[in-house]
Amino acid sequence: MRKNFARLVSLLFVFVFALSACGTPATTEVPAATDAPAATEAPVATEAAPTEAEPFVFGMLLVGPYNDGGWSQAHYEAGLYVEEKLGAKMIYLDKVNPADRPGTTPDQLAEELVAQGAKLVIFNSDDMKDASTTFAKANPDVYVIMASGDQVWSDGKAYEEISNLMNIMGRMEYGKMIAGCAAALSSTTGKIGYLGPLINDETRRLTASAYLGAKHCWEQAGNDPASLEFKVTWIGFWFHIPGFTTDPVDVSKDFYTTGYDVVISGIDNSVNLPEAKKITDEGTPVFAVAYDYINACDVAPDVCLGVPFFNWGPDYLKAIQSAADGSWQSQFLWNGPDWSDLNNHDTSAIGFVKGNALSAEDSATLDAFIADLAGGLNLWTGPINLQDGTPYLADGEVASDQQVWYLPQLLEGMQGLSASE
Amino acid sequence: MLKSRFSGLLFQLIALALSFGVVSLILISIDASPSEAFRNMFKGSFGEMRKFAEVLVAFVPLLLVTAGLLVTFSAGLWNIGVEGQVVLGAIATTWVYRYFLESDLPPALIITLAILGGMIGGAIWAAFTGILKVFGGVNEIFGGLGLNFVATALTIYLIFGPWKRPGVASMSGTIPFPDEFSLPLIENLRISPWALGIALIAIIIVFFLLQGTYFGLKLKAVGKNFRAAYLLGIPTWQYSMYSFLICGALAGLAGAMQVAAVYHRLIPSISSGYGYLGLMVAMLINYQAIWAIPVALFFAALNIGSIQLPIVMKLDSSLSGVLQGVLVLFALLVEGARQKFIKKGQNT
Amino acid sequence: MNVELKNINKHFGKVHANKDITLNIPSGTIQGILGENGAGKSTLMKILSGFIQADSGSQIILDGKSVVMNSPADAIQYGIGMLHQDPLDFPPMKILDNFLLGIPGSFFPNRKEATQDFNLLAKEYGFSLDPENYVDSLTVGERQQLEIMRLLFLGVRVFILDEPTTGISAAQKEKLFTTLKKFPEQAMTVIFVSHKLEDVESLCDRVAVLRAGQLVGTLNPPYQTKKIVEMMFGKEITLGERKPANVGEPVLSFDNISLEDARLRIKNINLEVREHEVIGLAGMEGSGQDLFMRACAGLVRPVGGKIQLKGQDLSGKSYHAFKQVGVNFLPAARLEEGLIPGLSLTDHFILAEQPRGIFIDRIAGQRLAEERIQSFNIRGTPLSPIESLSGGNQQRAELALLQNPLSLILLEHPTRGLDIESVIYIWSKLKERCHHGTSIIFISSDLEEILQYSDRVLVFFSGKVSQPLDANKTSVEELGQLIGGKGWAEIGDTHA
Repeated sequence: MRKNFARLVSLLFVFVFALSACGTPATTEVPAATDAPAATEAPVATEAAPTEAEPFVFGMLLVGPYNDGGWSQAHYEAGLYVEEKLGAKMIYLDKVNPADRPGTTPDQLAEELVAQGAKLVIFNSDDMKDASTTFAKANPDVYVIMASGDQVWSDGKAYEEISNLMNIMGRMEYGKMIAGCAAALSSTTGKIGYLGPLINDETRRLTASAYLGAKHCWEQAGNDPASLEFKVTWIGFWFHIPGFTTDPVDVSKDFYTTGYDVVISGIDNSVNLPEAKKITDEGTPVFAVAYDYINACDVAPDVCLGVPFFNWGPDYLKAIQSAADGSWQSQFLWNGPDWSDLNNHDTSAIGFVKGNALSAEDSATLDAFIADLAGGLNLWTGPINLQDGTPYLADGEVASDQQVWYLPQLLEGMQGLSASE
Repeated sequence: MLKSRFSGLLFQLIALALSFGVVSLILISIDASPSEAFRNMFKGSFGEMRKFAEVLVAFVPLLLVTAGLLVTFSAGLWNIGVEGQVVLGAIATTWVYRYFLESDLPPALIITLAILGGMIGGAIWAAFTGILKVFGGVNEIFGGLGLNFVATALTIYLIFGPWKRPGVASMSGTIPFPDEFSLPLIENLRISPWALGIALIAIIIVFFLLQGTYFGLKLKAVGKNFRAAYLLGIPTWQYSMYSFLICGALAGLAGAMQVAAVYHRLIPSISSGYGYLGLMVAMLINYQAIWAIPVALFFAALNIGSIQLPIVMKLDSSLSGVLQGVLVLFALLVEGARQKFIKKGQNT
Repeated sequence: MNVELKNINKHFGKVHANKDITLNIPSGTIQGILGENGAGKSTLMKILSGFIQADSGSQIILDGKSVVMNSPADAIQYGIGMLHQDPLDFPPMKILDNFLLGIPGSFFPNRKEATQDFNLLAKEYGFSLDPENYVDSLTVGERQQLEIMRLLFLGVRVFILDEPTTGISAAQKEKLFTTLKKFPEQAMTVIFVSHKLEDVESLCDRVAVLRAGQLVGTLNPPYQTKKIVEMMFGKEITLGERKPANVGEPVLSFDNISLEDARLRIKNINLEVREHEVIGLAGMEGSGQDLFMRACAGLVRPVGGKIQLKGQDLSGKSYHAFKQVGVNFLPAARLEEGLIPGLSLTDHFILAEQPRGIFIDRIAGQRLAEERIQSFNIRGTPLSPIESLSGGNQQRAELALLQNPLSLILLEHPTRGLDIESVIYIWSKLKERCHHGTSIIFISSDLEEILQYSDRVLVFFSGKVSQPLDANKTSVEELGQLIGGKGWAEIGDTHA
């Protein structure tokens, strides 16, 4: 009797843990079939594929769920954009990360996409950089786009000649500056929280950009520069993985309950929005800045100051087109916004959508700031010191692309870790 | 005897059919075609050499873990801590690799040392569970679970802390080791014949250990009746400890294979849930070593084959996990029914 | 309640365990069921108590109504309860919790009330059980008392007792019989299953004898023992004559040993056991004899004094050290402590040989098993799982596990629950070992067995130990007095 009971209890445990080990968080509902691109869709005639009967097939590995309302969804919708514009066909696999797909590697999964006919594979996360290199070298006849990577940047630190690989990244620095500015304009406490993912070159420079934007607008509004507090808390990964990362909802809550009235998301989704709404509904008005995905504010529009978003479509379209017509060139693309039309779906690599929570007055100020940026204002201009006080840019010195990309630390005046302890 | 073995097989087949039936019903309920799903899973695991190689990549750690668990199960112990033992094996392997990163020793020697290190790491971690059980009176299920959490926390600490990539704090793992630290792979495939060989040798050794040695018989005696085994003169707690050490070493070996042959670095989920999956395999085969190879292969194939589901059919891959879980439940259920069946037709 | 069994048949595979048994048990009687091991008594009783179902065509009629019982719970609903040979309780539980088990509608039992009921019931029948104690601390006799109380509390009207007097002391037996004799007054029916003639003779109003699955006849008092034995075995059996032992060199010596456990404390035992000698330990359950025996085996460490075995000082040494010197201990709870369910006879024999080396020699093991099976007259094959053997055969298997040679064999209730043929067989085997120089210490609650087979007897009474008594000069009555705590002044105990 006693033994059977022990067996039962242990069984229970095994299954609970086996299931959790299988990694099936709540977001794993089966994607609705309607979202999937119809395989039978007739190719739209374009110059790229005038003679091809078969549509060009490209694959995409998404680090998060395809409908995460953030980083991965921005990629997924760019894929849909390419499908539409090019008459190409996308096959994708989402949740490509060690927690959701234990026992697999991205290069292995990329091969599965190739087996389904993909001639080009997009790796959408920094997390897959090593795997994209491995895969590109092992499959020289497959084109590879490593989003956010720098392997084929000839001026980069880790340059490698991989002719079938391309790096694409948007100059989100501008988006983050605008986000920082919106945050500073709206904050009454002067305390801005930044929800950081993991620490690397990319996240350091983007966090620093948000800080530069915030500092600029804070000072422009006539506030004491010293009264601005800007703090980043890193959760450990691009999104929350229970058991492995800090919960970003908790981090947001901590910010809001300790006087930070704006939290800027730097992670792959914008879970700070619902939290801001909750706190606001409870009587303390606070704000949030979303990230990555054009419609990210929709979750809680009334607390959203805006969202800097990636618009991968235009660059992906060009790259995939070049792969399809044979004009492919291995290159490093780091394109900025189309200043003439920031949110142009067909031309701008990044954009910024203002949220409902931004007051009309602040909105006007923000527009002026954007105009300044378009007019050549560069906040990456000295004097700027690194967080530990080391001079980074001398007075008047403008940061080079390398200096920005490989920002070694956070900047002086920012709180939070520059590297892990 | 023969009859009962035959009926056992028959009943297991019934369990298999039932589980496929349940999963089919789930699929039908979401308007997906079961036959297409199963066909895709089959093609995705055995359809071509490359895919089969991926199956073998998953098969290696799963088989090693199962082999280890057969030993602890024989000793009547539920070594749920096997997951953490895999992790510690991986950590120890990584530690040895890092230690010899700059060394001039021949890579083959370093790999050997790293693998041995992994086995020792897993064994030490298992020994903690054993010590808690034998000297602290902490049930191995709870001790093991606790240590699993500690193992995960330790991995994350190492990846974010002392072993982080320069300037980076990411969950994506430590910096990959140089190619010469990898167990040789078959060309164009990701499977290492060495890893496969080690896993097969391990299960064969465990099979003979349990079937043909005094050690195995004593272990079973301890597992089936601790008190009587003690009175028969078997040093019982020592045997419990031995079984933990052996299982830990095999689990650690699985972790070492994950580092040396698959990931070439330490990642947070290095154990990939193979510990828990191994528990399921061990339960499904009713603790008989002889079935470990086919069943572990089947489970590995489900894991790999299910990758096709989201790509081709937009279904979630966790379906394979559902199938595995349901299968184990039905197998246990059906075995219970069979025992009743046998009892009814037999003298007591 | 009137119980009528009509044409009861039961097949287990090819074995016809009950053959067309028809028996009428009138309300308010104490019905004895006699038969040797394997005669079909237990099967019949399990059918009556719902544990197993009889073949179709069999009928159970209660007070004129034919009933079908599919489970023990059904049986209890009809007022039939069974006390098993191996008490079925839940060791890690408190006595009170065990008592509450199975009481309908007691999802949230009222513990206070239940404690009162419990104590009342215990008092009525003179049982001294602490409801807050744990079941695993109880002796077999006390567990049976608990089980009896539980069934009474459940409102059982037909009371089936399967070998209830094995494993309990004479005093407990006395109490039990007094209790049972009250039942018919309350129109309860008692069915008393035993192989002990004297118990049945002194208790039962009528006796039914089973042999090989068949009802061979019923008897009414006055009983003729010879007739009953003939009916049970189909032949006459006589006990072996007891011969005085040739006492040899000292094997075990206790020098001022003091023992302690949670319940008792035994002080300053001095004893010397010699080769060829058989020492019987008498006493009520839990009087200290089990503690004493475990100290002899090295399973309990004395709190003071010196133990020597074959001239070696083993004070404070482990069980394994004792085993090395040739001490073997056969515990009473066969399937719990003595044998390993799930392993075959062969596996047991291999393990008992204390094998060295790595690989099992299966062929030698098989040969060994066949040899032992034959020489110990075990009904089973080398590959039979131990739990598939009957109680008597398990006991023989335990004996067959004894190593050779041995200096000291310790036995707890070596013949409990066995039929007389098995008892004689087992003792002949043990005597053979004695003849070769081994000493034996055994515990039994059967005082006749103690006097029959011991050279000397130690009597235990609540922590006191008597001087060794010469079995030839002691009578059952004297022993009975002593284990009940009377007459100690005349013999003196081992207190220095």
